[in-house]
Amino acid sequence: MEKGRRKFLDTLKRRPLILDGATGTELQKRGMPPGVCPELWCIENPGVIEGVHADYAGAGSDAVYTCTFGANRLKLGEYGVHDVPAVNRSLALVARKAVRGKALVLGDIGPTGRFIRPFGELDFEEAVSVFREQVRGLLEGGVDGFVIETMMDIQEARAALIAVKETCGLFTLVTMTFERDGRTLNGTDPLTALVTLQALGAGAVGCNCSTGPDDMARFIGAMRPYAKVPLVAKPNAGLPRSAGGDTVYDMDAAEFARRAGALVAAGAGILGGCCGTTPRHVAALRKAVSRKKAPVPLRKSLAALSSARRTVVFEPGRPLAVIGEGINPTGKKALQEELREGKTALVRQMARDQEAAGADLLDVNVGVPGIDQEQTMHDVVMTLAAATDLPLVIDSAKPEPIERALRVYPGRALINSISGETEKLRRLLPVAAKYGAMFILLPLTDRGIPETAGKRTDVVRAVEREARRHGFTREDFLVDGIVMTAASNPNAPRETLLTVRWAAETFGARTVVGLSNVSFGLPERRWINAAFLAMASASGLTAAIANPASEELMFVKKAADVLGGRDRDAAGWIALCAKPGGAAKRAPAEALPPEQRLREAVLEGNREAVGGLVAESLKAGVDAAALAREVMIPAIVEVGERFGRKEYFLPQLIASGETMKIGMEALEPFLKQASKEGAGRGTILIATVKGDIHDIGKNIVALLLRNHGYRVVDLGKDVASERIVRAIEKHRPQVVGLSALMTTTMTRMKEVIDLARRRGLSCPFLVGGAVVTRAYADSIGAAYARDGVEAVQVIEAITGGRRKA
Amino acid sequence: MDRLITFERITIEPPLKAIYRRLGYRKGLTQVRPDEARTLGDRIEQARALITLKGAARRLPILSKDSRQIRLPGDRILESTRLAALLKDSREVILLGATAGPAVIEAIRRDTAENNLTRAVVLDAAASEMVDAALDWMETFFGRQLRREGRRLTRSRFSCGYGDLALENQKLFYELLELGRLGVELTERYILVPEKSVTAAAGIETIA
Repeated sequence: MEKGRRKFLDTLKRRPLILDGATGTELQKRGMPPGVCPELWCIENPGVIEGVHADYAGAGSDAVYTCTFGANRLKLGEYGVHDVPAVNRSLALVARKAVRGKALVLGDIGPTGRFIRPFGELDFEEAVSVFREQVRGLLEGGVDGFVIETMMDIQEARAALIAVKETCGLFTLVTMTFERDGRTLNGTDPLTALVTLQALGAGAVGCNCSTGPDDMARFIGAMRPYAKVPLVAKPNAGLPRSAGGDTVYDMDAAEFARRAGALVAAGAGILGGCCGTTPRHVAALRKAVSRKKAPVPLRKSLAALSSARRTVVFEPGRPLAVIGEGINPTGKKALQEELREGKTALVRQMARDQEAAGADLLDVNVGVPGIDQEQTMHDVVMTLAAATDLPLVIDSAKPEPIERALRVYPGRALINSISGETEKLRRLLPVAAKYGAMFILLPLTDRGIPETAGKRTDVVRAVEREARRHGFTREDFLVDGIVMTAASNPNAPRETLLTVRWAAETFGARTVVGLSNVSFGLPERRWINAAFLAMASASGLTAAIANPASEELMFVKKAADVLGGRDRDAAGWIALCAKPGGAAKRAPAEALPPEQRLREAVLEGNREAVGGLVAESLKAGVDAAALAREVMIPAIVEVGERFGRKEYFLPQLIASGETMKIGMEALEPFLKQASKEGAGRGTILIATVKGDIHDIGKNIVALLLRNHGYRVVDLGKDVASERIVRAIEKHRPQVVGLSALMTTTMTRMKEVIDLARRRGLSCPFLVGGAVVTRAYADSIGAAYARDGVEAVQVIEAITGGRRKA
Repeated sequence: MDRLITFERITIEPPLKAIYRRLGYRKGLTQVRPDEARTLGDRIEQARALITLKGAARRLPILSKDSRQIRLPGDRILESTRLAALLKDSREVILLGATAGPAVIEAIRRDTAENNLTRAVVLDAAASEMVDAALDWMETFFGRQLRREGRRLTRSRFSCGYGDLALENQKLFYELLELGRLGVELTERYILVPEKSVTAAAGIETIA
C-alpha cells in the first residue's frame, strides 16, 4: 500500500482526518491581485503559497492541496502557459517543501471550465488527456495522492478519476459541489455521485464548496448508508453573503468547528474547509473533532446502478425493478434502419416512452448485422445518457461495444451479460472491474445452457470465483435465471424459478430474468408474461427485463410488490391507480339538473363531460337558445370575471374556453338560424403581423372571442400587411385584431393601419402582444388590450355592448 | 479569454413557481383544485420531456466603452445606454444563448391545431421559463469560476429588444455564439427560431 493511502486509512482508524482550508481567499488576503492566474502568481511568488501550506500544516491539516486547481492546459492556455507538467511539478514541489513531511500533499485537480460530452462539447478522451497531463506533472512533483474537487459535472469527475487510475494507483479523493437543492449544477445528487465514483475507484467521495456545514451534513447523510469508502466534507465558512456587492463568508472559526460535529455525526470522516476558511478554522476544526471517532464505512459493497442523475439500489424489500427491453433492434425494422443511418430520434422516443410507462432501467442493444456496433453503441449510450434519467443496461454479445459504452457512460451501468464462457470471462471481467460496472451473470458455459437449476448454480459459483479475483462481491452482479420457452419445454419455467429462488435465498445474490421468452409461441403472451413475473417475484426476483408498456404486466408487478411486502404502505400501487385511467374522473353531481351541471362543466373546464351535458339538457326540454343565453354564456362570462379577479389563472381560463367551444359546437345544430353563432355579434379578423412567429396569445384571443359568439377569421402568424388589408376588404369585420411580440415586428401594426386607411377602410383596430403598450396603441390609432379577457371586453365595447343572443 | 463554450444538454428542474407565475397564478388569490394541479404537473412534466435545453456562452474583452456604446473585438459595437450603464465597471462581457429545441414548439403547434390550447399554454410557459432558467444556470456556472478569479458577474443581464438595445443586435449575438450549431436560426426580422430561444449579455466585474 502506498504512503498516502496508508496514512489516510491509519489516521481514520483513530480520528477524523483533517484537510486544509481555502487557498484562493488566503492568497488574496496575502497580496494576490484579482484577475491573475493563481498558479502563475504562486510560481512567481512561491513564498506566499509556501506560507499558506505551512500555516495549514501547522494548524493541524493531515493533508494539504497543491495550488493547482486550474493547472490544466485548457485553463492555463487562457493565460498563454503551455508547459502544464512544469507548472504542476513546480507547485507540488513547493507544497512538499512547505509542509516538511508534517502533512501529506494531495495533487489538486479542478474542473476545466468546459462541459464534457454528452453534456458539453469537450470530447471525453480529450478531457482524460487534459487531466492525464496534469496528473503526470503532479506525480513528478512527488504528490502523495490526488484530490479531484469542486466538480459540477459527474462526467468530468469520471474523466479526471480515469486519468489518475490510468497513470498511477494513488489514493484519490473526489468531491463534487452541490447546490443547496442537493444537486450539482448538472443535476447529480449526492447518492448518485457516490455510487458512480466509488464504483469507479475513488478512495473517498464527498462534497466541497457551494454550501456551509449545515447543508453539507444533509448531503453526507444521504451518502452515508450506501458508502463503502470514507466520506469527505469541505464546506465553506457558511453561506456566502453579499456585502457592498462583494461575496463574503462570515462564519468564524469557533462556529465552523462547532458545526463540524454535525458533519462527523452525518458520516464524514475526512474534513476540511473551502471558501472563506482560514488556518484558524482548520485549527479549531482539528481541535473540535480530534477526540471523535471517524465514521467507518457501513458497507463493503453495494448493489446499485446510476445514471448521471438517478440511482437504483437493489435491496431486499424494494419493489421489483423493470428493465425496459424496447431498445433492441431484433424484429424492429424501423429501429434497425435508424441505427444503420446513425440516427437516434427513435431511440430517444423509445427511452421516453418506457420511462413514462414505469421502467426503472433501460436495456440498450444495437445488434444490427453489418453496422459498426462499437461506434453505434457509443453514440446511442451518449444520446441516452443525456436524454433519460434511467440508468442503462449495456447489452451486447460482443465485448468491444460494452467496453466502449462503459468508458463514456456517466454512471454505473449494468453489463448484459457475462456468462461462464471462457472468452467472455477473460475479456469482460477486467473491463467490468476497471469501470466498476455491475453485470448480469448468465449461467451458461462453452457447452451451452444447463437445463436444470442445479447445474446452473454450479456455473454461478464458478463465475463468482473468477469474479472475486477481480474484486467483485455477490452484490456486484445479478444472477440470470435463464428463461426458456414454456411452449417447447413445460419444465423450463420451473427450473428458472428454482434458479432464482436459490440465487436469492441460498446464494444471497440479486437476480434477473429476461421475461418475454417464456411465452414465445403462445397466444395472448401478455398474460403468461404477467403471471410468470408474479411467480418470479414471489421467488425473490430483483429485476425483470420486460416491456413496461404492457399494462397487464405493470399492474401485476405492482400488485406483486404489495403482496410481497415490497411496496411500503402500498404507495406505488396507490400512485399507479391514481393515474389517468386508473381512477374515476371527477363527475358533476348527478343530483343536479343537467343545465346546472353544464354550467359547472364550463366553470371547471370539463371538456369530456360538456357534450353529453348539452345533449342531456336538450333532452330534458331546455330550449337551445336559452341554454346558450342563460347557462353557457353567463358561465364563460363568470370564468372571465374570475380570471380578472385572479381567482383563475391561464390554464383554467383556456380549459373553460375550450369546454365552451365544444359545448357550443354541440349546441349549434339546434339553434334557430337567427340566434346562430356570429349572427348577433359580428365578425372579428385577427392576425399576427409579418415577421412575427409568436401566436399563442392571438390564439387565446380567438378562442375567447368565439366563446362569446363572434365569428373569428384567423389569418394566422407572419401575415403580410397587404394580405390583412385584402382580408378586411373581403370579410368587412367589425374589428381587426393585430398581435406582435417583438419590437421589430410591432412597427408592422402601424403599416397595416396606414395601408387600410389609404384604401378607405375605417374599421377599428385592436392591438396587443408582449411589447405593445397602451401608449403605442394610442399613437397608431388603435385600441389596446393587455390579455384575452380584456380583448373580449374591448371588442364588446366597440361593437356595441352586450350580446343580443 | 475569447472562447466559445457550448452546453449540449443543460439539465434543470422546471422552475415551477416561475411557470405558475407566468400562467397568471397569484398566491392567496388563485384557487386551483387538486385535480387541476395534478394535470398541470403532468403537463409540465410533458414539457420537460419535450424540451432539450442547449446553451452557448462566449467571454469577450470590452475593448472600449462610453456611456452610449460598448466596443467588442472584431469591430463589433453594441449601442445602448442602458447596457453601457450595466457594464460600467466591467472589462469583459459574457454573451449567453440558450434554446429549448424544436420539439416543444412542434408540440405547441400541434396542440393548438388539435384544439388543445389548454396544454399548449402550459408547454409555452414551461418552455419560456426553462430557457430563461438555462441562462440562470449558465450564469451560476460562470459565477463559480469567476469567484475563484476574484471576479463576478453583474447582478442583472440584458437582452436584445429590451430597453434601448435594439433587436437588430441579435445578429451579433447569433454569430458570436454560433447559435446555428445549436440548431437555432435567425430570421430577417431578427427573431430566433425555434421560438423559445434567448440571448443575453452580462458584465464581468472585478471584486474590489
